[in-house]
Amino acid sequence: MEFQDNYPSYETMYNHDDNYGKKARRTLWNVFWVMLAITVFELVIGFMAPSKGWSGSTWLKVLFIGLTIAKAAAIVWWFMHLGHEVKFLKYIILMPYIVFMLYTIFIILTEGTYSGTSGKFTQSDPIFAKQQLELKNKHHGGAGHEAGAAHGEEAHH
Amino acid sequence: MAHTAEHSLEIDTKEAWNGGVSPFKISYGKMMMWFFLISDALTFGGLLVSYGFIRHKYAEVWPKAENVFTHFPFVEQHLPLAYVGLMTFILIMSSVTMVLAVEAGKRMDRRGVTIWMFWTIVGGLAFVLSQCWEWFHFIVGTETGAMRNIWHPELNKYVLENWTGANMRYNEYGVPQFANYFFFITGFHGTHVFSGVVINFVIFLNVLRGTYERRGHYEMIEKVGLYWHFVDLVWVFVFTFFYLL
Repeated sequence: MEFQDNYPSYETMYNHDDNYGKKARRTLWNVFWVMLAITVFELVIGFMAPSKGWSGSTWLKVLFIGLTIAKAAAIVWWFMHLGHEVKFLKYIILMPYIVFMLYTIFIILTEGTYSGTSGKFTQSDPIFAKQQLELKNKHHGGAGHEAGAAHGEEAHH
Repeated sequence: MAHTAEHSLEIDTKEAWNGGVSPFKISYGKMMMWFFLISDALTFGGLLVSYGFIRHKYAEVWPKAENVFTHFPFVEQHLPLAYVGLMTFILIMSSVTMVLAVEAGKRMDRRGVTIWMFWTIVGGLAFVLSQCWEWFHFIVGTETGAMRNIWHPELNKYVLENWTGANMRYNEYGVPQFANYFFFITGFHGTHVFSGVVINFVIFLNVLRGTYERRGHYEMIEKVGLYWHFVDLVWVFVFTFFYLL
């Protein structure tokens, strides 16, 4: 096999003509509209959540994180052009990151359990716990609402 | 020369690994930008995972975003999350103008690159200023405030008193960690946006001076574009974890 060095440089290889450009622009705008629709949908759901009692439910979290990853994938794939790169390049960019993040999440879910049960904050932050307790008592036991968001309620009392 | 569609040129796989050409069909600069972005993404990933950990630990007293970020410029009403929705729209929009600049660059369309780069910079600046505004309201706080134990060095003890706004030690919204993570992660992201605007501006000046026209390609736009899209990418996650969940 003979060595060749008559290829155009990579920079100019990526140049394209008007027809290809027209198609590319259409794709990019479509991606934008989809992303905008997702964001608006997220905001509407987020806006409705407190009154419908969806706040903090698992399906809502899964939905939001899923939509976020979908948006992130769209950015990486079309806007950052990774979808059109060589297969090996895709792997070399995505694999180390995905593996490392999955590992980080795994380690936080398993090794982090010692403080995972909420309500144990008393051990690490006695002053804040006392404070929150006082606030809760002020609000008739604080049943049904979080003391942390109490400032919003105080205006009505 | 620019209008011949050479992007379809294929190098034989076996030959590509023989040296002399990049088997990834990518220039050194773009490759290094990708590597930098991976390391930066790991930093943000680590920050967000740690945020999730602390938030879960303080789940009972963690404030809800819709009770904290309720302001909208020039409007008296409480509009939870409306402004951050607008900020997200601005950043996604500037990502689109950036990718259109990249596309124009591939057609050697100098006018197109100039226009789209200009709008990208405008969008970036709008986002940074919005974030300043958001921080300002977060730091100043509401009129009512909340009772907090404030450390008085001269008395050498904590005194329960009314506290408005937020800093790294106390905030009226909830646990101190909430403000800490808010300042650190959105601040770190805002720094990225700001440096992105500066870099985009430098490249914009080069476009105006015709540097890339002479060079025969606009690959530099692609490189700064990668960085700019990355900033948008991070915001998508920050938006979800800080404001939506």
